Amino acid sequence: MKSFFRMSYPYLLWMAIFIVAPMVMILLYAFTRSGNSMLTFQFTLEHFANFFTDPTFMRVLWTSLRIAFLTTVFCILIGYPAALFIANLPERRQTMMVLLLTLPMWINMLLKTYAWRGILMNFDLESEIKVFIGMVYDFLPYMIIQIHTSIAKMDRELLTAAQDLGANRWKSFTKVTLPLSVPGIISGITLVFLPAVSSFVIPKLLGGGDYVLIGNLIEIYFLTAGDWNFGSAISLIMAVIIIVSMWATKKLDRSAQED
Amino acid sequence: MDKKRKSRFLSNGYLILVLVFIYLPILYVVFFSFNEGKSLTHFTGFSLRWYQNMFEDRTMLECIYYTVLVAVIATVVSTVVGTIAAIGLSKARPLVRTAALEINNLPVMNPDIVTAIGLMLLFISAKVQLSLVTLILAHITFCIPYVILTVMPKLRQLDDNVAEAALDLGATPWQALTKVILPQIYPAILSGALIAFSMSFDDFVISFFTAGVGINNISMYVYSMKRYNPSVNALSTLIVVVVTLILIMVNLIPHIRDKKLNKGDIVR
Amino acid sequence: MKKVLTAVLVICLIAMGAAGLAEKKDPVAEYGSDVLNVYNWGEYIDKQVITNFEKEYGVRVNYSLFSSNEEMYTKLLSGASYDVLVPSDYMIERLIREDKLQPLDKDVVTNLDVLTAGVQNMGYDPDNTYSAPYLWQTVGIVYDTTKIDPEAMEEQGFSAFLNPEYKGHVYMYDSERDGFMIALKALGYSANTTDEDELNAAFDWLREMDKAVSPSYVTDEVIDAMANGEKWMALVYSGDAAYILSENEDMGYCTPKEGTNIAVDAMVIPANASNPKLANVFINYILEYDNSLMISEEVGYASTNDQVLNDLSAEGGTYEGNAAYLPRAGYELDEYYNDIPESLRSLYSSMWIKVKLHE
Repeated sequence: MKSFFRMSYPYLLWMAIFIVAPMVMILLYAFTRSGNSMLTFQFTLEHFANFFTDPTFMRVLWTSLRIAFLTTVFCILIGYPAALFIANLPERRQTMMVLLLTLPMWINMLLKTYAWRGILMNFDLESEIKVFIGMVYDFLPYMIIQIHTSIAKMDRELLTAAQDLGANRWKSFTKVTLPLSVPGIISGITLVFLPAVSSFVIPKLLGGGDYVLIGNLIEIYFLTAGDWNFGSAISLIMAVIIIVSMWATKKLDRSAQED
Repeated sequence: MDKKRKSRFLSNGYLILVLVFIYLPILYVVFFSFNEGKSLTHFTGFSLRWYQNMFEDRTMLECIYYTVLVAVIATVVSTVVGTIAAIGLSKARPLVRTAALEINNLPVMNPDIVTAIGLMLLFISAKVQLSLVTLILAHITFCIPYVILTVMPKLRQLDDNVAEAALDLGATPWQALTKVILPQIYPAILSGALIAFSMSFDDFVISFFTAGVGINNISMYVYSMKRYNPSVNALSTLIVVVVTLILIMVNLIPHIRDKKLNKGDIVR
Repeated sequence: MKKVLTAVLVICLIAMGAAGLAEKKDPVAEYGSDVLNVYNWGEYIDKQVITNFEKEYGVRVNYSLFSSNEEMYTKLLSGASYDVLVPSDYMIERLIREDKLQPLDKDVVTNLDVLTAGVQNMGYDPDNTYSAPYLWQTVGIVYDTTKIDPEAMEEQGFSAFLNPEYKGHVYMYDSERDGFMIALKALGYSANTTDEDELNAAFDWLREMDKAVSPSYVTDEVIDAMANGEKWMALVYSGDAAYILSENEDMGYCTPKEGTNIAVDAMVIPANASNPKLANVFINYILEYDNSLMISEEVGYASTNDQVLNDLSAEGGTYEGNAAYLPRAGYELDEYYNDIPESLRSLYSSMWIKVKLHE
């Protein structure tokens, strides 16, 4: 089985060049002083100090995490039953459903958000609710597809066996289907939570410009202010916080698996 | 029996609701592509002018070409590389695997602008001129993680023993891979490819900073509009129609083939 | 006789062929390449002008799009080689300072004398050494004349953004530069100030504005929204206002009395352009009456060609009676933007974020 590990060598190399190297360059900016020239290295921690001493930034970060968390929860709540029902369909219709779920993702996100703006204009909703509808809308297909993938073609025999042994449907769901789908949920969480933290187009268009999120902040500092140093520092802080929270999720996953 | 029918009715109803939710803005865009006026909120009359505008606009047509070209290449490459890498990583030591997957998550987690500037810096320091190739490389880079994230959970469900048994029974690693592992993770590979394709199709920021001179994709066109051009509604409708036609064909072909076979049976 | 006729015919044909050849110049021989890379804002041209240029010169225009000066600037850092860019005034100032532009060839760009007074002698490039103005505009207020009396609007100017009577009915353009500009102007300072006390005063003004009228911070969606009369007043660019006014006759436009920003987008040739010869030809072509007319008519921003500007706003012109089309020129308090010093850019950004977050 060891020989299979060698199959990952090409991608490890790819990662080193196209993911790690660019990130290292970005990191250099986070720890150096002003200007987007890479030639003058002046080590500093002032960007981090600026971030943590300004309550505005902390609030923005908190809002982003909260919105991303709630979006993820809603995606699971709406998406899990959908994935389960799809998995119970005949196989050909399953493929059809997955394709039907993917098709809207090929329409430009900005355009779909404009459309939501037009639709939601007719309803008197809190701007936060509008943002949630837009966010859940955008990320729901990813969650459904991930969960569906993990429970499709699952060992049917396990389910039949469980039912033969007298387990009712609820029991066979909680004891067989749910544990088997945990990796899919985790993947779904990764695909929803991570991009949701840094998303900003939807909050901006549906919530109005006073809905500043961390992704928005990073974009402002990189482009409008041209301050790559501070922008890099913010994205590093965000990355660390997300990695820690994902690590906590994985811990939960592991303890769920051990059950 | 009655209970079963009831639950099927409920589950189908739920799926239809989800589909309505997902297609609502799409239908909205399709509807407004026939609007006479420029507004996206007020329908003032039926007209096909935005379709005419779209077909007369060379920049827009080129956008479609580049978007599809890049998405197809990026999807194929990232699906192949991602699947192979996922299989390899699933057999790696836990520490190596965790580290690799953590790095793999970076492009998913980073705001697009960070990935974009990072890749641009990479190309600058490697003295590579931005071009169609750099655009495709960038797309492959952010697509692979999605494939791995989709394939990995399915691999974790696999029973290691089956592949090992195949090896013990004298199968070559290649045979174990193609006859045992791939058939079992096939649906995950397909889902991964679909997600990769969607990500590539809809990307703006990374494309903007890695595409060469004169290369625009649909998202770049939409985001750069100083004023809303309803032709992009027409463009989206066109995409919906083409994809729907493909879906219908893909679904009809097996049906037709089945029918022909059946007829053959009867004749025989 | 027959022979003579044939000979004459042949000669005629040869002559015609030669004339045809002479007229249809080979663009590769003439300019070094038959491709021109233009980098412009999205939806900021009449595409027919590009098609006409291609036909007339037998070349191909590769058209790329950007949505902000800063985005374009960052893309230039990659070393990408464009032939013509259309940045705004303050960005041109920065590009000149950083030696990123090359001078126009005045032997080719001969149409600079068509420029209207409002875009002549620009501080960033007084004698048009590097740049040829493309379109221009002011920043002003579009308002619903059925909700706000025009006289009251003119009387208030930018201080209308502090009027609590309009609370909940106001759109503010989500641009830190324009936001600070109206505050600085309302306070009687220069929009280009680098004095931190004045900036702090503007910051306080903006926070008061946020409390007084609770605006929605929007970008381009304001155009559609105001054309449909969704709110009473909005800060917009005059070019967009011209479109709004032509769609909704209840709307009025006010160029505030405190003075405002005049913005010019101009065509420049980057230092690393691969086809500067053709770029000069293109720039001269765009300045021509017919082409400037088509562009200005299509996008609603003011032409830099004096005669086009007059004709479009005069009787029978597309923008006759449109209060927003013709920018105010020669008003003492109006200013162009200078490039913000690097040290102040982050300050601007963080203060603007705080305004939007009601802090």
